[in-house]
Amino acid sequence: MKLGNTKVSKRGLITAGVVSVALITSSLVTTVGTSANAAGTLKIGVSLSLTGDFSDSGLAAQRGYTLWQQEVNKKGGILGRTVSFKIVNDASSPDQVVTNYTNLITKDKVDIVMGPFSSLLTVPASRVAKRYGYSFIEPAGGGPKVFAEKNPNLFFVQPAATTKGGDVFADYILSLPAASRPKTAGYVKLDDPFAAPLADNIKARFEAAGIKTVYDHTYPSETADMTPIISALAATKPDVVVGGTQSADAFAQVKAMIQLKFSPSWLFLSNGASSPLEFPQQIGLKNTEGVFTSSDWYPKSTAPGSAAFIKAYIAKFGGVATSIDGTSAEAYSAGTLLEQVAAKTKKIDNKTIIATLHKGSWPTLVGNLSWNAYGEPQGAYLLTQWQGGQLTTVWPKASAQKTPLAPKPAWVG
Amino acid sequence: MTRNGLIRAGLFFGVLIALPFFSTSQWLTNMFIFTLMYVALASSWNLIGGYAGYPSLGHAAFFGFGAYFTAIVFTDSVGYGWSPFLFLPVVGISAAIISIPIGYVAMKTRADVFAIVTITLLFMAQTLAFNMHKLTGGAQGKGIAVPSFDPATFGRPFYFGMLALAALAMGASMYFRQSKIGLSLSAIRSDEDKALGVGVQVNRVKVLGFAISVGITAMAGGVWAYYEGFVYPQFAVDPLITIGMVLMTFLGGRATLWGPVLGAFILVPAQQYLSYQLGANQFYLLAYAAIFLITMLVLPRGVIPTISDKIWLKKKQREAQA
Amino acid sequence: MHLVVQALILGILTGGVYALMASGQTLIFGIMKVINLAQGAYVILGAYLTMSLFQWTHIDPFLLILLTTPLLFVIGAATQWFLLRPLRPDDAVELSLLVTFAVALGLEGLMSVLYKTTLRSIQPGYENHSWTIAGYQINEVRFYAFLLSIAMLIILYLLLQKTKFGRAVRATVQNPMSAQLLGVNSKLVSAFGFGLGVATSAAAGAVFGLITPFNPGSHYDLISRLLTVVILGGLGSIGGSVIAAMVMGIGAALVSALSEPVWADFTFFAVLILVLLFRPQGMFGTKARGAL
Repeated sequence: MKLGNTKVSKRGLITAGVVSVALITSSLVTTVGTSANAAGTLKIGVSLSLTGDFSDSGLAAQRGYTLWQQEVNKKGGILGRTVSFKIVNDASSPDQVVTNYTNLITKDKVDIVMGPFSSLLTVPASRVAKRYGYSFIEPAGGGPKVFAEKNPNLFFVQPAATTKGGDVFADYILSLPAASRPKTAGYVKLDDPFAAPLADNIKARFEAAGIKTVYDHTYPSETADMTPIISALAATKPDVVVGGTQSADAFAQVKAMIQLKFSPSWLFLSNGASSPLEFPQQIGLKNTEGVFTSSDWYPKSTAPGSAAFIKAYIAKFGGVATSIDGTSAEAYSAGTLLEQVAAKTKKIDNKTIIATLHKGSWPTLVGNLSWNAYGEPQGAYLLTQWQGGQLTTVWPKASAQKTPLAPKPAWVG
Repeated sequence: MTRNGLIRAGLFFGVLIALPFFSTSQWLTNMFIFTLMYVALASSWNLIGGYAGYPSLGHAAFFGFGAYFTAIVFTDSVGYGWSPFLFLPVVGISAAIISIPIGYVAMKTRADVFAIVTITLLFMAQTLAFNMHKLTGGAQGKGIAVPSFDPATFGRPFYFGMLALAALAMGASMYFRQSKIGLSLSAIRSDEDKALGVGVQVNRVKVLGFAISVGITAMAGGVWAYYEGFVYPQFAVDPLITIGMVLMTFLGGRATLWGPVLGAFILVPAQQYLSYQLGANQFYLLAYAAIFLITMLVLPRGVIPTISDKIWLKKKQREAQA
Repeated sequence: MHLVVQALILGILTGGVYALMASGQTLIFGIMKVINLAQGAYVILGAYLTMSLFQWTHIDPFLLILLTTPLLFVIGAATQWFLLRPLRPDDAVELSLLVTFAVALGLEGLMSVLYKTTLRSIQPGYENHSWTIAGYQINEVRFYAFLLSIAMLIILYLLLQKTKFGRAVRATVQNPMSAQLLGVNSKLVSAFGFGLGVATSAAAGAVFGLITPFNPGSHYDLISRLLTVVILGGLGSIGGSVIAAMVMGIGAALVSALSEPVWADFTFFAVLILVLLFRPQGMFGTKARGAL
């Protein structure tokens, strides 16, 4: 067909039509957006790793959030508003986490956002929250890079930066009289934003106190076979072994030690050993005896509200107290912080949250929390140890339920 | 270039340029940033994988190169925010130069072996990214300074960055089609030995195609890194990026101009939608795999060639009846 | 010295496990020129099946292999018949890559739905047990796995050399057209061959599940290792992939124990690239179509 002197194809016209529709629709999209928050609903958006590498913890966090939501709505919600969550999956991918928070804030227009799982995902996510002026209470990103972002909107819901997770173990070791202390140490670390810095922190303190480093190596995250590494570690015969681990590799390290019949006098694992259900499942309950780790919340915790939390959790999800992952408690605590801000200030907008949380100390399941200007908590973890098939606090003395057990008993086949 | 083709291209880019001004919705901009990124990636993959018939499965290595290069240079400061964009040509040309010896050696192999060699390159690049701690930060990742763009339109500069790259990739694709290079490449694709025998400058053309292809890929990596703000080795040098590029090109139609574009426009929003809506349960992966498989089995040549075949067939039928 | 020998022992045993996994992969490539990106996922499937059967029946995992192998054979043959056979030969290389990748994703999704993503292992009670011989620790499970690899490779060898099916497979590898002209039903050969390649993942999966904690996402790490073993060994050469697996196992163990674990994989890749530069067909591969 002809349009004046130009021969325009039918296809061209159709394209033009489609294009105009697209332009008009897109401008409408801005104005309409999705359902405005129904009067009275407090909408909280979270991106969690529900599939992929971090999914176990992601699902645990989801349980913590939904449990809190149930409990707080029973009490009438926050400032009379019902709490609703929009939880989306980032499949443990930073690309998706950025998209998710952008969508949650600009498309779903949630009132509040809370953090994803892992330091890896928290860093890019926190930038998005900061950009739009949202507070960022996050239960699971505590590696050094998170605080290097210098984000004043961020609040990490654990007692201290995760590099300090080993400090309490160093405190205990260095408190021993010189004769009973380990003389040599081996450090076997996962190449990871959480694990390696934690182990390096312990190493700095041990070396300053004269404990000789006989093995110090990092392994990549896809290491399938820990036996050669542990074999080399064992050959140096260290008194104390510090494992900078996440979960899978913690289990692999212990299994390799059992297979190679190497049992150090002290064994500290930064993660993995803190999983009350998985650790004994993977390495055998009898083998857990004497292994140290650090925790914020664990089933025998004496933090106020813990018993009620456990009861409510079991009522909603079943299982026993020892099957509760600490991540659920951390997520739950993030929710209780919101409750407390609302109770104190009678407001719940982002600016108020940020200003209020920077002052004073806030009791939660994971301890009394207070933060510096960039969200780094100023407390300390608890040193926990497996004794009699259960995790129990052994340090600092004031909070200890039992005395530390050393040397670690031999493996049971 | 036909008049219709020009009109199509003009409309396409016209709409895309106007879009951010009609709609300031950030999530839409975000979706388009990724869509346009894959338009650029798929179109540039098409240069070597489609036209030349060399299915490179290692392009993500160069994507990661671009991402890290940009991150390392701009980790502390981005000036007014435009510097990383202006730096892109340096990234692209560096990647292209590095790729010349790699491409030369790798393309001594053919088809299936070439695919495997490039996969190996990808794994090597990922290992390097993990292990060169001082340079790349290793598993801790590398951050880029935050630009001071207005939050209300934060995505816009990145959107235009990706749009420019998409235009560049499509421009290269079009140029290849119209010029002697394109003819040489398709000769290579059909039968490389014959092409050599007939006098086609096989090596020169292959390496050039490879270099341009990875140069654009690296630049896309640079913009991506700047937008994400943080680069981790397993996500910057990710086999899934390559798979995405390949799948989109196949879906839309290899060795066509608009095929990769169509593939990107279908798959990226679909993937984001599926992930956002369904991801909360585990069926997301199953749905993705199902779409994948259906595409491969039902539309093996891709949407555009299948449709244009049907149109051509109808035309012939009408002519035969006339 | 003790460390070196111990590392060697560990490497040989690990190499055996990879040889088992790689043999299937290279068989598939040899017959059909298909890079099966789902091989890792099939191994994980084998691990899950063994774990479930073990939890249900308490029969030793090594014995359960007799059950899981035929099951995976059928699954593999079905995959080939329905998903790979319809592909056009011109595009077979790239499309089969994409199709097998989709299968891997689909399997991962299916297993995530059925089993969730908690890390699992198969625990018959003796999985961490090691014998101490002359001061060296030899892990029981890995030793059995090593024996199993040898057994499977012997079976594969006999299959390929002594049976009619094996001859048909070898003919198809050497020259598909002539083979067809001589009456070989290449469609059946392809399906059976693929099934056979996948069937080896049953044994590999049982072993993997005993040695390492796994979840549906574990297949990515596996496939990258398998591909490098297969390339180094020579595409299509089972013997080659066995030797390459041993080289990889020993090399990685030595580097991990004596030097930096983080460089273990990289030195391997570097060796691989060097080999490919001078021998693109790998150590023992025939000059495949597409090689120099």
